[in-house]
Amino acid sequence: MVQLINHSRANVKQAIIKQGMALATINLKSFPHRAIASSVSILSIACVAAVILSVLAMTQGMVKTLERTGLNDTLIVMRAGAISELQSVMFPAEVNILANNAQVLKDSNNQALVSAEMFVNAEMSHFDKTGEEHIEKLALRGISKSTYRFRPNFNIIAGAKFKTGLRQVIIGQAIARKIPALTVGSTITVGGSRWLISGVFSDNNSVFESELWADIGMVQSDYQRGNTLQSVRLALKANTDIDALNKEWQADPRLNLRIMYEKEFFANQAENLTRLIRWVGFPVAFIMALGAMIAALNTMYATIASRSKEIATHKAIGFSAFAICFSILTEALLIALVGVLLGVLPLYLIFDGWTASTQDANNLSQMMFNFELTSGLIAQTLLFSITIGLLGGILPAIKAMRLPVTVALRDN
Amino acid sequence: MKMNNQNKIAIHLNKINKSYQKGNNKVVVHDDFNLSIAEGEFVALMGPSGLGKSTLLHLIGGLDLPTSGSVTIGDRRIDTLSEALLSTWRAENIGFVFQSHHLLPVLTAQGNVELPLLLTPLNSKQRKQHASLALRLVGMEDRSKHLPKELSGGQEQRVAIARAIVSDPKIILCDEPTGNLDRKTADEVLTLLATLNKDFGKTIVMVTHDLRASEYASRVINLEQYIEKGKQSQLSAAEVNL
Repeated sequence: MVQLINHSRANVKQAIIKQGMALATINLKSFPHRAIASSVSILSIACVAAVILSVLAMTQGMVKTLERTGLNDTLIVMRAGAISELQSVMFPAEVNILANNAQVLKDSNNQALVSAEMFVNAEMSHFDKTGEEHIEKLALRGISKSTYRFRPNFNIIAGAKFKTGLRQVIIGQAIARKIPALTVGSTITVGGSRWLISGVFSDNNSVFESELWADIGMVQSDYQRGNTLQSVRLALKANTDIDALNKEWQADPRLNLRIMYEKEFFANQAENLTRLIRWVGFPVAFIMALGAMIAALNTMYATIASRSKEIATHKAIGFSAFAICFSILTEALLIALVGVLLGVLPLYLIFDGWTASTQDANNLSQMMFNFELTSGLIAQTLLFSITIGLLGGILPAIKAMRLPVTVALRDN
Repeated sequence: MKMNNQNKIAIHLNKINKSYQKGNNKVVVHDDFNLSIAEGEFVALMGPSGLGKSTLLHLIGGLDLPTSGSVTIGDRRIDTLSEALLSTWRAENIGFVFQSHHLLPVLTAQGNVELPLLLTPLNSKQRKQHASLALRLVGMEDRSKHLPKELSGGQEQRVAIARAIVSDPKIILCDEPTGNLDRKTADEVLTLLATLNKDFGKTIVMVTHDLRASEYASRVINLEQYIEKGKQSQLSAAEVNL
């Protein structure tokens, strides 16, 4: 007879983690057999991961776009009470008062560095190659030559700037990407008139790239706005006391204005948009997460029910209850990981870098932004989904831990 | 064979009470039950269903705890151990063989036999060596790479026995090991258990309804008579000598 090798009994004790890993490895081998049963749970987590990542990517895309917009040292002035340029109305007389302030910088010709701008939520229509008409809501900004001085990142990337006094527009590259039919030389209908696209511009992927820019005089004329405008941008001398300047203008009975730094203005807009998306997106994601958690819970309970004898056998052999708990949680984790992969991978392959658009709640026009699925966002999604998986697995794992071996083994 | 009093006691159940609640009723399974088994004995526990044969096996194996009384295995009282300590103790001292073998379907015969060794510090190569040895001992070495579904009932039970002995426990507990087997295969399995008892000194406690199985045991305890006698004398057990 062959003698069994007698190994040291003293060394039989092992760490729970090691036991758990051993059981988890065995569970992984049998996981393909449970893949179909686990598919509901996997799909639920995949959907949650996709929604969460989409919300995060949208928010980040918009915030980044708005963060790239505006200058730290430029002052934007609008009508008091207006929270967006669209809501503001200003008059040339007011612009003159502002321009004549001693704190406003002047150029080499002793002209105040001021950009008076008109802003319209325009209905733009165009025809595609098949002759079908498309209508888009876009921001139309009426500008003057001085405006370019307040857009240091502005570049014409195709065609040329519009000519003053003509119905010509330049379009932001985000619009050009989103609507390929809008090319230099093609025409669009804005404000009831036909406009020629003279060029395409870039501006460091800022929100301005979602706008049409045209001669302010032509826009005022087509929209019958007389000589009114929406906002004024000012360059101030260094070390200007902004609070003192604000007090001075607030005290002036001819003015009824609101001033702030342009960067701060767009940061506020970013905050408002982010809040809006999160209020809508996260509750939806939360409800879906709850559903996914329940699905994971059900799957794991079903797994434990179908494997009760196996678990009882492990216990009878000597595996600790904590190791069994650990192995069940590992399986829940695996389900979550497969779910995340299924949810994130297609999103990443299809939508990363995609130019998306949304209606700017402040200006009611389209704002375009890049749908950026960064590693940071994917990591956040992964963490969230893993948490769902683990929360769904923890109660079943405790149940497995407490499974009465004698009952499970007798139940033939 | 009467229990040799000079032999060291391997298993001692002292004044065991075991009851459980079933709805509003309290079901008493054992009442003031005593049993001693010496090292190297092959004991067959027999008797009608419902007398608590499997419960005794579970108490001896530390899978269940008595309502009162003590369970001492070797020199160690196990009914006071925590669940974690019981697990470790089981891994070191007990091998289980069940009626429905309970092999893991995704593991080969070799993998199933290696399972208890995952609780030891043995490396992969050593585990394989030990498992091969245990499989050779039960005559299943040539089936080591087969999955349970590729084995017959008797072969599965042999693999289960190999799993029970691979970590070299002192005690092997068998719950109806031949319950699902035909006569010829059952005899083969029982011969194997008898060999483990005689040649390797394993203490074996086997619950069975099979009268033929009792022929392989060194002591047969008919639990019905045993309990009745125990009630009368409170001293000795009813034993059927072979």
